[in-house]
Amino acid sequence: MKKLIAPLLSLLLVLGLGAGIYVSVNEQLGKERIVTVRGLIGSEKEDFFRDPRVVEALAKKGLAVEVEKAGSRQIATQFKLKDYDFAFPSGAPAAEKVKRETKVNKAYEVFFTPMAVASWKTIATILESNGIVKQRDNVYYIIDMTRLLQSIVAEKRWSDLAKNEGYNVKKSLLMGTTDVRQSNSAAMYLSLASYILNNNNIVDSAAQIGPIIQPLESLFLRQGFMENSSAGPFNDYLVMGPGKAPLVMIYEAQYLQEAVRASSGLNDAMVLLYPEPTIFTKHILIPFNDKGDRLAATLADDSDLQKLAIEHGFRNRDAAGFRNFVKSHNLAVPDTLVNVVEPPTFEILEQMIVMIEQRYKGN
Amino acid sequence: MLKSILFVIAAVFISGCVEKNTETLTVLAGSELKDIEPLLGDIERQTGVKLLMNYSGTLEGAEKLIAGVPTDLAWFSHGKYIALVQGDKNRILAQEKIMLSPVVLGVKGSAAKAWGWTDNPNLTWRDIAAKAASGELRYAMADPTSSNSGFTALVGVATALSGSSDALSVKDVDQAQLGGFFKGQQLSAGSSGWLVDAYVNEQARLNGIINYESVLMALNRDKRVEDSLMLIYPQEGIITADYPLMLINGQKREAYNKLVAYLISPEFQQKMMEQTLRRPVIPQVKLSAEFASPLLVELAFPNDLSAIDKLLFAYQDKHRRSSHAFFVLDVSGSMAGARMQSLQIALKNLTGQDQSLSGRFSRFRNRETLTFIPFDNQVYPAQTFTINDPGSQSADMQAVRHYIDSLQPRGQTGIYQALQVAYRMALEARHKEPDRFYSIMLMSDGENNSGLSEDGFAQYIAALPPQDQGIKTFTILFGEASQAGMKQLAEITGGQLFDGRESLSKAFKTIRGYQ
Repeated sequence: MKKLIAPLLSLLLVLGLGAGIYVSVNEQLGKERIVTVRGLIGSEKEDFFRDPRVVEALAKKGLAVEVEKAGSRQIATQFKLKDYDFAFPSGAPAAEKVKRETKVNKAYEVFFTPMAVASWKTIATILESNGIVKQRDNVYYIIDMTRLLQSIVAEKRWSDLAKNEGYNVKKSLLMGTTDVRQSNSAAMYLSLASYILNNNNIVDSAAQIGPIIQPLESLFLRQGFMENSSAGPFNDYLVMGPGKAPLVMIYEAQYLQEAVRASSGLNDAMVLLYPEPTIFTKHILIPFNDKGDRLAATLADDSDLQKLAIEHGFRNRDAAGFRNFVKSHNLAVPDTLVNVVEPPTFEILEQMIVMIEQRYKGN
Repeated sequence: MLKSILFVIAAVFISGCVEKNTETLTVLAGSELKDIEPLLGDIERQTGVKLLMNYSGTLEGAEKLIAGVPTDLAWFSHGKYIALVQGDKNRILAQEKIMLSPVVLGVKGSAAKAWGWTDNPNLTWRDIAAKAASGELRYAMADPTSSNSGFTALVGVATALSGSSDALSVKDVDQAQLGGFFKGQQLSAGSSGWLVDAYVNEQARLNGIINYESVLMALNRDKRVEDSLMLIYPQEGIITADYPLMLINGQKREAYNKLVAYLISPEFQQKMMEQTLRRPVIPQVKLSAEFASPLLVELAFPNDLSAIDKLLFAYQDKHRRSSHAFFVLDVSGSMAGARMQSLQIALKNLTGQDQSLSGRFSRFRNRETLTFIPFDNQVYPAQTFTINDPGSQSADMQAVRHYIDSLQPRGQTGIYQALQVAYRMALEARHKEPDRFYSIMLMSDGENNSGLSEDGFAQYIAALPPQDQGIKTFTILFGEASQAGMKQLAEITGGQLFDGRESLSKAFKTIRGYQ
């Protein structure tokens, strides 16, 4: 009997090894059909690219994506872009900066998201009592952006506001943002604030910058140290509570993505405020070669990937898909926003940021 | 046959395991991360990445990173200062916050009760400064230029006391009411870990300690602590350390990503919170009941390097208690040549000649008194200098340099008789001016072979009356000096041993945090 077992086991072993090699070789061949594309992204899209469903949908199209995250404006200035296949910053101005740095003309608008303010019910209630916030159809809107910005510029503290029992803190009334020199979300806040302070007009000449640049600078300088990328302040919001920053400028997508996550970091005390007017951030992919181009076209055209983008809180051409998403998750989110302003031109925005940068250096 | 098949299977199995090599990454880390060490095994098992920790102080660590000292990762209690100092150098390729711990004040429960501070939400840094100025609050705090906890505390207190609710600027530094606050600082140290031990040893004369919340909570678990600490979260706010793990070597990005994914996983975060008492960075892990959960108002961290520099210098030269440092220096024959030269360089560096980041802040401070006691087999006359102008070209600094250049090596080594002279002088000075920091630094390159014996010295120290205890000796190991002997000598006085064999200058700079 023993004599029989030994050869039998040997045979089994050989078969097993053979099967192993076959599977492994097959995998290798499969891998060769998949093209790896490397790129730089704004941090708020990291979860999208790490989502196994997104990885699978891309693999179906023969693509594997490796991303490094950075501040969207940082992407254009601090990286050797030629080492990558694509850049996927947030915001048209950051994309324009990348295009100019690399002299690449192609760009794909993959999705967009409005700017919103992550906050707390206690804070919203105080602002409501002060006529700055109003609730309509379950959604909180910042109806008086002018008044909010004037209070910020006048260096009011939370303890100066009326009916502030929920947050009687000596902290300055400020909007928490990222570093405007590095990151798009802060640049979007700058764009919005410049519109409001320019008497509700888009700043369109250098002459209009002069009278408002000082208050604009103070929005950022007074915050002290700021992070480079928008995932930072939002994570602080989730973890550190209203003592860190009671108002945080974020992308709506960040909040929605968190809201539908399996173990969500949001709780009942948290609310999202929509500035009126608000501003859209376009997420624009700039390909540097054919591989990047293939990824861009896939992300922009593939309906599965567009649906998955919605699952991560982004908006795109599929307005009905976004409506369904909001409804199925019972989110307090307006499906269309009408009061939206355009950012200033790339040159004007850049000029304002450079002026703020100078203030940092001159300090 | 069966055996041989099993052997083949085993061999295949083993080789499969060996293939899954662990990768080793070097980490330039703040010493406050030492309490992570028990978790390094878990990290290695879960990620296949072994972390090799090289510890360093605040400014020293920043300086090393900027200078391009090779390291794969950096991990300090916060990265903001490093980010400001690096300017356009872009050494930090990626960073992710791993855990949180605010820097707060712990006050003895009995004192907190007496002052009405127990669970008092209206308590401010101003109230604390007033208690420190009146002499009632006597606390321990690490040196801001060598320790991150001291640095964070200084920035927080200065911001809160400036009266502005915005980030600290250069003009705010002048307006901050820091003098009164730092009158209460009765114990300083070059590292937050050492500060804790010193606090425990001297808890009878102190009633407060500034440190990470995590360290203070751990101290409250410590049986040696007689009066457990009430943690104070003042109304103006605090500054929270967020322990970012920074990628420095781009080649290691894959391993870095694996590490970060594990470090911010609920599994690790839960374990880290329980074992190190730091707060988690992911909302999925809830704070355990052991943590206080008031509204933690976060003060703005300055974005302005010149404001921070000015603040550090203002602390050193103006606000902290002035110190009287005794330097007991071996000038025996064995010091001749290169050793004497490196001693002279190390000392002259402290007169403002070392313009590196750590050098600038370890120089002799305004209002500081220095006493040099050179010895061989005899003790030479002591020479005392007081710095009234800390500029590197000032007459005061030049006089110190001139004196250091005059030191001549000769004779045998009589350590303890020289040290005894230092203690006598220090005690006499402390009787006259009790409000200063007194410390003794001993540098020797050999064994005691002349005069008073080690036992004789230990008896002298033990026999000092209680009011004359507490002056610490910090020893520097150099040349052929006995490591065990120098360590013991430091320990019987409550001091610490530093190794100067690799770099005497570096050891001198490190000791400045304790002087």
